[in-house]
Amino acid sequence: MTDETPTGRDTSGRFVKRAVETVNAMSRTNDEGIHPMSKVLFGWTETKNIGAILFWVLAVLSIILVLADLVIDRHEYFNFAESIGFFGLWGFLSFSFVVLMGWPLGRLLRRDENYYGDAGGPPDDIDPGLEGKPLGGGHGPHGGEH
Amino acid sequence: MPAFLAGLNPGWLLIAAGLLALFVRGRVVRQVITIAAPILGILLVSGTPHGVDLLTHETLSITLSFYHVDSLSFLFGLAFLIAALLNAIYALHTDNRIQDGMALAYAGAAVSAVFSGDLLTLFVFWELTAVTSVFLILQAGTRAAYFASMRYLGVQILSGVLLLAGIAYVWNATGSLSITAFTSLDQPGALIIFIAFGIKAAFPFLHNWLQDSYPKASVVGAVVLSAFTTKLAVYAFARMFPGQDELIWIGAIMTVFPVFFAVIENDLRRVLAYSTNNQVGFMICAIGVGTPLALNGAVAHAFADILFKGLLFMSMGAVLYRTGTTKANELGGLYRTMPWTTLFCLIGAISISAMPLFSAFVTKSMILSAVASTGMIVVWLMLMFASAGVLEHSGIKIPYFAFFGHDSGKRVKEAPFNMLLAMGMASFLCIAIGLPAFLPGFGYEWLYSLLPYPIEAANYQPFTPGHILAQLQLLALAVFAFILLQRLGLYPPEKPGVILDTDWTYRKVGYGAVRWIDTVWARLGPAMTAIFRGFSGRTYDRLVDAFSPRGVLSRNPVSRGMAVWTAVILALVLLVSYLRG
Repeated sequence: MTDETPTGRDTSGRFVKRAVETVNAMSRTNDEGIHPMSKVLFGWTETKNIGAILFWVLAVLSIILVLADLVIDRHEYFNFAESIGFFGLWGFLSFSFVVLMGWPLGRLLRRDENYYGDAGGPPDDIDPGLEGKPLGGGHGPHGGEH
Repeated sequence: MPAFLAGLNPGWLLIAAGLLALFVRGRVVRQVITIAAPILGILLVSGTPHGVDLLTHETLSITLSFYHVDSLSFLFGLAFLIAALLNAIYALHTDNRIQDGMALAYAGAAVSAVFSGDLLTLFVFWELTAVTSVFLILQAGTRAAYFASMRYLGVQILSGVLLLAGIAYVWNATGSLSITAFTSLDQPGALIIFIAFGIKAAFPFLHNWLQDSYPKASVVGAVVLSAFTTKLAVYAFARMFPGQDELIWIGAIMTVFPVFFAVIENDLRRVLAYSTNNQVGFMICAIGVGTPLALNGAVAHAFADILFKGLLFMSMGAVLYRTGTTKANELGGLYRTMPWTTLFCLIGAISISAMPLFSAFVTKSMILSAVASTGMIVVWLMLMFASAGVLEHSGIKIPYFAFFGHDSGKRVKEAPFNMLLAMGMASFLCIAIGLPAFLPGFGYEWLYSLLPYPIEAANYQPFTPGHILAQLQLLALAVFAFILLQRLGLYPPEKPGVILDTDWTYRKVGYGAVRWIDTVWARLGPAMTAIFRGFSGRTYDRLVDAFSPRGVLSRNPVSRGMAVWTAVILALVLLVSYLRG
């Protein structure tokens, strides 16, 4: 029996090979250790003035969403929640309050890392190839807590 | 399904597989076991009839029911089995018999506990979750983990002992061990069991074991731990305390207080531990409301939480594995070298933030609607506040400080493939159950159809324009607040340090008091012994000097005199007694 498939039309291997090459290229880091997928997925975060752009995008989006309350009729269990922009305002105030409370609470509750006398290194099962990984021993459960 | 498999509890299968894995030295064989057991478990439970005692045993006139599946326990069991599978994949890069075996046995214990048909069986597996899970903390191998694991074990065993005491009360009062819901905390044993469950659910002031132990566990251990214990407690509350009013306020407080700790916490795994508190709070609050919609919400949210919280712990585990730290002040800019991990972490973060089209949106909406329907304005506002708080610590802080923000300069490798696979699968599920039902039974409808009250679930529409708009407003304005505060320099910087929580009372004050008593006793003890010995020794010496055969009183002249005087005094006493008498 002869092989009737013309050699020029046997494309399966070629596509597979190209796909494998692409996949390999997408997972091969460059000399600086940068992953090629990072450019594809998050390259936009390196845009100049990204902070300002995000600020204005969010500001405009927020205004649109608040104004959408004029068009979309929300049915809430509480009357006050039906007022325009209620959820936006509550989200903004809650978030800001939590973050700003971080200042006094941090001052009040933060202590030295070894406050309880048990500051230590990472667990044993981290990447064995990690530079500076502490060698086994030296941080076993001996010696009392304080 | 073959008859002999129909009565096989998938939890027991996992426990047996876990014990077997402990003794299998061959890594590949062990990995096949750890992956095959949960898959078989999922197949088993999928074909199991509901509402039937599938395996019972009579002993001492007590009927024990080892395998009972119903609409409430099914989703918890299924979620635990899915988590066990994802965890096994996540751990494939390791070669640790104890960790593999105990992770599987722990998952099996949790599955067995939710499928228990009586209180005694529940107690046994309740304790087994404690005993098996402690190894996952110990596997970190650090001194801090050792002490945390001992504290963890103490608290968990206390929960079990209280549960047993409560069961004894119930048995004494009713003569039955069946798992039936309490209607009041005044019923015999109810309050003790309530506290036992509360410890495992990490109620406020009983919560420190969670923040203490999970962040100190091994890379894989923390991922495994995140799925089971607290959600088992949620199941137990849904089973035995639905509609208990106290739970509404306890749950609401649980959602709010961790938010403040999470914002100042530097260790990102510890932030996730607080986030666990916060999410469990939503479930507990819903169980307190107790309506079909609320209970549906609690169960659905537990299911979703197991997936997105597991995913977030996995991503932080990958960061810890590659960089050796999860401290926010040491991280940043990792998206450059760990883009897939970043992507999966973001999916987990968006899911937990309840963004429409992601899992928590379709689950938490039910809880918020159910709470609002009770008319409890303050509780509802607390939950809304906590929703913005979730976005702060889990939605933004975790991904931002690990993968973006200030570039730490760390150029580590992407996570191992097995970790990415597990994260990818969890991400897929987070999105899949959050999607609208483009086809009947697809997206969130699949999850809703498995809830305890499927008819009520089918009548609930999460994707209404009003719901979507309200949630988008909340999230968009909260993110805007984040960017604004960052630009104004008002966002507190991440600083290293320990954040004091109520465990300070026993780790510092209680421990200090015991140390003080120990020191005082160490000095006072010998001093008192010396004083006593000196006193008693001198007394003894004098008595010996006086009364011993060679003592002063035995010397001839005096002893003779003594004998005479004794006789005279005795005679006088007798005489007086006689005359008086």
